[in-house]
Amino acid sequence: MFTQQLLNGLVTGSTYALFALGFTLVFGVLHVLNLAHGAVFMVGAFAGLYTVTTAGLPLPLALLVAMLVGGLISVAVDWLALRPLRQRGTTEFGAIISSLGIAQVLMSAGQAVSQTQIMRFPFGTFPVVIYQFWGLRISLLQIVILLLSLMLALALLLFLFRSDFGRQIRAVAISERTSSLLGIRPGRVYFQTFFISGALAGAAGVIIGLAFNSVHFLMGEPYLLRAFVVIVLGGLGSIGGALVGGLLLGLVQTFSVSYLSSSLSDAIIYSLLFGILLLRPSGLFGKLHIETRVVRA
Amino acid sequence: MSGFILGHLSVFELVLVNGVLAYSQYIALRAGVFSMATAGFAALGAYTAALFAVRLGFPVWAGLFAAALIGAVAGLVLALPLARLRGVFQAIATLAFVQIVMSVGLYWESLTGGALGLNGIPKLVHPGHLLVVLAIVLYVLRAVSRTGIGRAFDTIRQDETVAVSLGISVVKYQSLAFVLSGALGGLGGGLIAYRNYSLVPEDFGFPLLIAALSFVVLGGRNAVAGPLVGALILTLLPEVARPLADYRLAVNGVLIVLAIIYWPYGVVDTVILHWRQRKAARAQAVAEVVP
Repeated sequence: MFTQQLLNGLVTGSTYALFALGFTLVFGVLHVLNLAHGAVFMVGAFAGLYTVTTAGLPLPLALLVAMLVGGLISVAVDWLALRPLRQRGTTEFGAIISSLGIAQVLMSAGQAVSQTQIMRFPFGTFPVVIYQFWGLRISLLQIVILLLSLMLALALLLFLFRSDFGRQIRAVAISERTSSLLGIRPGRVYFQTFFISGALAGAAGVIIGLAFNSVHFLMGEPYLLRAFVVIVLGGLGSIGGALVGGLLLGLVQTFSVSYLSSSLSDAIIYSLLFGILLLRPSGLFGKLHIETRVVRA
Repeated sequence: MSGFILGHLSVFELVLVNGVLAYSQYIALRAGVFSMATAGFAALGAYTAALFAVRLGFPVWAGLFAAALIGAVAGLVLALPLARLRGVFQAIATLAFVQIVMSVGLYWESLTGGALGLNGIPKLVHPGHLLVVLAIVLYVLRAVSRTGIGRAFDTIRQDETVAVSLGISVVKYQSLAFVLSGALGGLGGGLIAYRNYSLVPEDFGFPLLIAALSFVVLGGRNAVAGPLVGALILTLLPEVARPLADYRLAVNGVLIVLAIIYWPYGVVDTVILHWRQRKAARAQAVAEVVP
């Protein structure tokens, strides 16, 4: 029982981590909360679903389409809502508002397209295979979710810390002005950052849509709210932190649902968030020194 | 004109209720507290007011007072931990507060009715009540913003370092703003309870939080009239332009994106700024002619 819950918790947690990766990346580079991330995730899930149902293409292709669409939408969000604010130099408050606004537009579009219905992937999109060992049950889908989340997090870390592009992104995250003096084009870095963030959101959309077999226009909201907990646990802007934070949150949630009460688990999770913000605002690992005191414009 | 208002009484009521919620958001933002807690305060106030009326049979004013009081107490309790945080961290913490209130509302079935909510709440408020409440709120806010408190809020919002160097206690004033925000949020919640006949926890989630923020962003964050104008525009728009009602969410979204990018001070503050500039230009022109 305990180990089964542990396993379930890890799988749930890896979906949280997958969602939070792109969210924390944008915060790490631009120091703004992109509240449209949940809507981009929803659009990605829609794109993946329609690729499977309407176009009749196989799932791996749908995942790619979802990543492409998610990436492009995310870039569009940046261009329409965040770039104008960045050029004026007031970002922190404005970015929250304008990304919320864009999220509402995207959600309204999703509502119109889906006619407010909950859509499902057709049966057999992903083979139902269940493995049993040592008294544990795990499905192939769960294994894929777990592995894919770990792989994407690892790929992102490698990209950021072992490639030229990643070095540029990290330079811009530290100082846009200095890095542009050094010949880095910040515009291009922002494009890449948002594209990667959106692609990760799109992948997360398809995977989570498959895991719970439901795709609807409001699906981003609960994940966005969970993502706050994840990135505060792991430290805002930290990729590794998002992975660990996501897994930790999945465990906390699974155990509180199975041992306490399912309706109380949200209260527990957000109290945890509140407590961590007060005691360790830089996250559980705390090695990142992000300013928690920011001067507002 | 009176015929129009009578015909749209329920929309008129909604504008006033939304106005009170907008002021709860406004006073926090004015003091530079990056709060999203208005929806949570409104939930506390709404359930308090509803329970006082249904279980204890309290009259309307007592219920509204209790709602404002519980909001203020929640604001005070939250203000202490929030003083340690800044910027986005405050936003996240207050968002967590809203979620905690909502999930406790779902869990505590014996008190709140859980997911089914509270039903059969008598409709106790009438437009007259709402006008009186709003008049009191406007008077208090005007008094606050005309005195040193308002100036302290403005200083803190614009630059905390300057505020501290002028001897303004950031913690004290932000706590005051948060208590006021809590009281107004609770009051707004109480009005919702006495107007809607029933309450469910989902009424006080993300959409309400976004609505309260949008009113202030669109209307303006400085002048006292701003939030009310914002609430007026965003509440009336779907009623006036019926074909847009289906795309309410999208219209709201487009409006706040445009507002924050092109009129970052909001409608009212932009107009005031424009007037002042014209007045100054005219005065200058006169001064150049006279000597």
